Amino acid sequence: MNSFLRKNLVLIGTLVVIAALFAAAAQGMDKQDFVITLLRGLAVGSITFLVASGFSLIFGLLDVLNLAHGTLFMIGAYIGWTVFVRPDTFVDILTPLALILSGFALADVYPALTTRTRLGSSMKRILPWMLIVVSLLLFGYILPKYPIAIWDVGTYAQSPVTFAFMTSQGTRLPVAPIAFSEISSALAWVGLLLASVLAALGLSLFGNDVGQTRSVNWKNFIVFAVLLLIAISGSIFNDPFTNFLLGLSSNWLFVFSVLIAVLSGAGLGALMESALIRPLYSRPIYQLMLTLGLSAIGIEMVRAIWGRPEFVMPKPVFFNGTGDGCPATSFADWWTHNCSTILLWDGRVRVYNEIFIPLVGLFVLISIWLLLQRTRLGMVIRAGVQDREMVEALGINVRRVFTMVFALGVGLAALGGVLAAPSSGLSNVMGESLFLNALIALAIGGLTNYPGAALGSVLVGLIQQFIIKYGQIGIAIPFTDMVFKPSPPLVPASTVLLMVIILLILPNGLLGKKE
Amino acid sequence: MAQPSFFVKHRASLIALLLLVLLPFVVGLFDGESPLAVWKNESGNSKFAQGLAIEIFILALYALSYDLIFGITGLLSFGHSMFFAVGAYLTGIAIKNFSLPLAATLGLVFLAAIVQALLFGIVLPRVKGITFALVTLGLGSVFHIIVMSTELGKYTGADVGLQGVVVPAFISPANERLRFYFLALTVLILVYLLYQRFVTSPTGRVCVAIRENENRALMLGYNTFYFKLAALTLSSMTAALAGFLHALYQPIVSPNVASMGFTVTALLIILIGGVSTLQGAFVGAIVYRLLDFGLRRYIGESASFINGAIYVAFVLFIPFGIVGTWRMRSFQMKQGWERFLKMFGRN
Repeated sequence: MNSFLRKNLVLIGTLVVIAALFAAAAQGMDKQDFVITLLRGLAVGSITFLVASGFSLIFGLLDVLNLAHGTLFMIGAYIGWTVFVRPDTFVDILTPLALILSGFALADVYPALTTRTRLGSSMKRILPWMLIVVSLLLFGYILPKYPIAIWDVGTYAQSPVTFAFMTSQGTRLPVAPIAFSEISSALAWVGLLLASVLAALGLSLFGNDVGQTRSVNWKNFIVFAVLLLIAISGSIFNDPFTNFLLGLSSNWLFVFSVLIAVLSGAGLGALMESALIRPLYSRPIYQLMLTLGLSAIGIEMVRAIWGRPEFVMPKPVFFNGTGDGCPATSFADWWTHNCSTILLWDGRVRVYNEIFIPLVGLFVLISIWLLLQRTRLGMVIRAGVQDREMVEALGINVRRVFTMVFALGVGLAALGGVLAAPSSGLSNVMGESLFLNALIALAIGGLTNYPGAALGSVLVGLIQQFIIKYGQIGIAIPFTDMVFKPSPPLVPASTVLLMVIILLILPNGLLGKKE
Repeated sequence: MAQPSFFVKHRASLIALLLLVLLPFVVGLFDGESPLAVWKNESGNSKFAQGLAIEIFILALYALSYDLIFGITGLLSFGHSMFFAVGAYLTGIAIKNFSLPLAATLGLVFLAAIVQALLFGIVLPRVKGITFALVTLGLGSVFHIIVMSTELGKYTGADVGLQGVVVPAFISPANERLRFYFLALTVLILVYLLYQRFVTSPTGRVCVAIRENENRALMLGYNTFYFKLAALTLSSMTAALAGFLHALYQPIVSPNVASMGFTVTALLIILIGGVSTLQGAFVGAIVYRLLDFGLRRYIGESASFINGAIYVAFVLFIPFGIVGTWRMRSFQMKQGWERFLKMFGRN
């Protein structure tokens, strides 16, 4: 015990100082203000944690500083919004997306096929490019003509803002389903499948060494078949499926859109890792530039598809009740009325923003912790964070674990995005500020430390919210009559300063391991 | 074997220099302006091209300073834009609010640059690698927030930017732009020569050693802290000089130059040009500025989409940057050229 104290003296001292600061902050405000500020801080901390934990898992295992993480957070939010507000668009996109992916699902099969054919050396050089160009031409011909019911960024009456507003009012804009008109449906489907197969085949021909024996895994064919099945059923049952989704209560639709956002985030992450980051493991600095470039691309794509205006994702009915019995006075009362607010210690607390989000954050914290501590995958991840080469030497397929961890990290960021969408709204810049918060949280808690990410995120959230609150009520400076009101720029500055101070005292963060 | 003469050895650089000196006049001739009109700073395409070139020179100077600490010494700093912004803002404030003469302002800027390099120097021995990047990011964002805050709006202009700096008439970018062009060019070349000298000097070699393996440099008996501090100070002074020129040239110093995005600009420029090549900063600045300018002019809003795509393509296909790849391939290219000449029967 004594040696533990001596080793962690600085850490304990820092924590005591932080606790003392919070105690001092609590003295200066009413009980209800304190509760609300605490809950708000926890909510901001939870969202930050969802981004930070994914980032820290990726950085710890892969040594990749994924600077596009904030953008992926934003993309998750926008995808969730789309599924929630426009299920018909989602169903329309399902078929072409599954067709495009199905060609790439067989990526491991093509090399086994092509090693048996003999090609001239010039042919070998030209063929992949030819295949890729042909597939790009096919995509370019079919995709613009593929009918997808979508909003119109240009006209206000059909813009995402209007759709979001109408859905929050409980009604939906009537949308006529779009049918194939410029192109026959069979041609479109076969063409997309062919184009994706050609593109994947062309890509697999690059850097293909002759004489390498490859075994074909049957799992590839199952993935291919499942994707094809999704595509076919998506096109056949388009209308019933759309009507089913539209008929769902907004609670289930919300759950569904969260699920889709997380899945598509994870898929995006897996794609990013396997296609773009994998060639760059030997050149760490270039990963930085790559993720920066991807971040810029992502923001521009969001601007092109969803437009620049900000809008809010409607809350599900479960958290949005008004009328008699509201605000609820206790949790049992809330359960019967589903009020949007609840009275706790005389303070009005918004249920979704300040209770539901921290609970989800806690749930994710525990489940990821269990995944890391209790499963085989978690064991490999923890070992890989400590010594990657050793794990590789023990015969574990680290490549696959890398892809999984990247998918997990981006999926968590997307979850954070879609959860934050109803409370703080959607905008083109929502990723940047949150990403800075997450970086600060990680630096405070320890870059590759999982509990550290949680601690740092909560600290960042609490400090920001307390300073915002004190900006409203002001701090009485002792022994004088003056009241100091922190101005809004001080909110980010305070966390940054805290980070700098903590890093100077403890260079590896609060819970980071000493090297 | 006799050493090749100075002119043969540096022929490429001398030709580039000559082209840059003649650039305003050549652009003028293309547009039908006589060199005399260009000399008298009459408005036209030449003047516009000079403006673009001055921006490129300033960017190149700034990227050069980033190359020294990132490419040569191997310190990844995310707060580099602060060095530039301190120079720019200090110049603006000193001239506008305190009406200092230009020389005194320059001296003040250099002094501030040294002071903030020492400030970063406090952090240096404590944190390494990615933590250093985060701490510098923190310091940089605090400065950005200070610049943006409304309390200091009287001096910094808050989020609008610093404006209303009265530049002394003899180098005013509006009336005497050609003079400003040559001033910026001279500064860039002098700084470049200084850097070349620094990198080949024993101090510079130790800096490269720190980048390659800091522990080994420590084992060899070098106190790496002093070498890192030296590189940081030189870099800070150069960036502040670039900021000084920026504040004189631009009508508004936007607070964006203090943001992290501007650090990323420097990183992108030297990654395009080639890390730790020094010339890469110049080539990268040309590519970056012209690309940005061209895309914004012909594509408009979604320019940064294509910008991003080009950076990704650069990372994946030209990883050593333009100058780095050129140096690696120059021997092969020479061979290919000779084979090409042989095809026509010449030896």
